[in-house]
Amino acid sequence: MYRNDTVLPFFAILFSIALFYAFRLDAIHLEQLAGEAKEELTPGQIGLLAFSAVFLVYGLIGYFSTWLEGVELRPGRHVPEPGAAVAVVSVLLAVVLAGLSGFFVRLLLHQMTVGPVSSAAQGVVFGSIMLVAALLLAIYKKYYLGDEVLIEDEHSEVPW
Amino acid sequence: MSVYKWLDERLDLSRLNKKFMRKAFPVHHSFFLGEITLFAFIALVLTGLFLTFNYEPSTRIIKYQGTELPAAYASVLYIDSLPFGKVIRSVHHWSAHIMIAAAFLHLLRILVTGAYKKPREINWYIGLGLLGLAVVTAFTGYSLPYDAYAVTATQIGYGIGASIPYVGQWVSQVMFGGEFPTLRSLPRLYSIHVVWLPLTLLALIGLHMLIMIKQKHTQPRYAEKIAPGKILGVPMMPMQASVMGLLFLLYLGVLFILGGVFIAHPIEAYGPPGASTPAVKPDWYFLWIYGILQMIPNSWVIPLPWGQEINPEFIGGVLIPGILGLAAVLLPLLDARKTKMRYLELPSHHPLRTSVTVGILFFFFVGTLAGWKQELGLSNAVLWTMLILIPLASAAVTYMLMRSIYGKGDQTETAG
Repeated sequence: MYRNDTVLPFFAILFSIALFYAFRLDAIHLEQLAGEAKEELTPGQIGLLAFSAVFLVYGLIGYFSTWLEGVELRPGRHVPEPGAAVAVVSVLLAVVLAGLSGFFVRLLLHQMTVGPVSSAAQGVVFGSIMLVAALLLAIYKKYYLGDEVLIEDEHSEVPW
Repeated sequence: MSVYKWLDERLDLSRLNKKFMRKAFPVHHSFFLGEITLFAFIALVLTGLFLTFNYEPSTRIIKYQGTELPAAYASVLYIDSLPFGKVIRSVHHWSAHIMIAAAFLHLLRILVTGAYKKPREINWYIGLGLLGLAVVTAFTGYSLPYDAYAVTATQIGYGIGASIPYVGQWVSQVMFGGEFPTLRSLPRLYSIHVVWLPLTLLALIGLHMLIMIKQKHTQPRYAEKIAPGKILGVPMMPMQASVMGLLFLLYLGVLFILGGVFIAHPIEAYGPPGASTPAVKPDWYFLWIYGILQMIPNSWVIPLPWGQEINPEFIGGVLIPGILGLAAVLLPLLDARKTKMRYLELPSHHPLRTSVTVGILFFFFVGTLAGWKQELGLSNAVLWTMLILIPLASAAVTYMLMRSIYGKGDQTETAG
C-alpha cells in the first residue's frame, strides 16, 4: 500500500490460481459423485470463479500499472524512444488481431449458415481479440505515448 | 484536426481539456478494484441492451419448436440460439457476479486503508448503497430466465422480503407484484431490473465519481515525501485514460473467455418450472444469509402486536445483515478524525481494524459454509459454535500476530 509495487498483484494472481484450482477440485469431486460431468455450475463454483476472475484482472493490471507507470511517480515528462523491435512486435500483434477478428466473423457466419458453434470457441476467440488489443494499447502507452507526472493543488477548481 | 478546430471554436474544447482533462490522478494498483466494478457495470449495460431486444418478460405459455413453454423461458432459449447469443447472456451473468465480487473487494480496500474517514464519509455511504443495490439488481435478474432454478431461488428471496414485519407484504407487492410467482411478477421484476435499478445505480455511480474527483484519491504514502499536501498524479488525458482503456480491454478479455468456456446459467440443464421444486441454493453472495437461515430453528418466533411476528427468515435474512450494515454505517462516526485524510493508511499500522476485518471475513466464510449444512452433516450447535468462535479467534490471532510483528502501529499516521 506504500507504493505502486507488484507485491499485492503477485499474491492476487496466486490467489486467483488457487481459487481456480479449488473450483476444478470441486468440479472433479461433483463429477465423481454424479458419475457424469454436469453442465451447470453450483453457486459455490460460480463464486470461486468470480473471485478468481477479479483477482486475475486485478493482478494483471497491477503488473501493467507498475510496468507502465512505475513504482513511484516523479514529476516531469519522459519522452519515449521506441526501437525497431517494438515496431516489429506491434505489427505482429496487429496481424494476430486482424487474423483473430476474421476468424471470429467466420465463426458467427458458420453458426448462421451451417449450425451451432461451441460457445467456448466463440468466447475464447473474442476474449483473445480483447487481450491482444490490450497488449497493443500497453505497448503504445509504454513506447509511443510517453509519461507525464503532475503536481496539482489540492483545492483545484475541478469539478467545482 | 480541422474538425477539432471547428468544434473548439464553438465549444471551447481547449478550455475543457485544460480544466478537466489535465486533472491529476494518483497511481496505485488498489484503485483499480473500483474501476473493475465500474467496467463490470458497463459490460452489464452493454450486454443487457442486447438481451432486451429478444427477451419477453411473460409467463404465458407459448409453443416454441413444438414444445409448450413459458414465453420468458422460450425467449432465453431463442437468445441462446443466436450467433454469439449464448456467450453474451453468459457474459451478462458473469459480469454481475464479478461486479459484486469487485465491489466487495473495493469496499474491503477502503476499509483496511481507512479511506472512509474525513472527508470521504459521504462516498463511503454511497459505496455501501451501491454494493447493496448491485446485489438487489442481481437478485431481480434471478427470475428472468424463468427456469426451475430461477423460480425456486427467487422464492427464497421473496420469503425473506415478505418476512419483514408490517411492511413485508407491501415490499413484496412492489417488488414481485404479489405472491411470487404471479402473472405480474416477471413484468414487475423486469422493469425494476432493466430500468429503475440500473438508472439508480448510474446516478449513484456518477455521484460517487464526482465526489471522488472533488475530494481526490487517498494517495500512496510515498507521495507525501515528494509533494506534501499536493496531489501527485498522471493527467487524465491521455495517461490515465490509456490505462483505464487497457483495464477495460483486459477485463473484457478475461470476461469473454470465462463466459464462453463456463456458461453461467445453462437454462436447458434446469428446465422450465414444473410441479416439483428442485433443491437449489441461492447465488454465492446470498449463501452466508442462506447458511444462517439454515441454522435458525423454526421455533425462533417473537410475536408482535397486530398479528405480526419476527420469524426466522426475518432474523437471518434481514436482522443479521442489517446489524452488519449498521456497523458499516457507524464506522466513519466511530473511527473518525478531525483533520483531512490525504494518504492511504497501512493495514499493518492499524492492527485492531485489520483484525476485525479478518474476523468479519471469517464470519462470512463460516456463514457460507453453513449453506452446505445438510451435505456436511453438521448440527446447528456445531455451526453456531463455529460462527461465533472462528471469527473471534481469527480476529484475536490476527491482532496478536500484527502486534508482535508491527508493534502498536504508526500513531503519527493518523495525525493528519
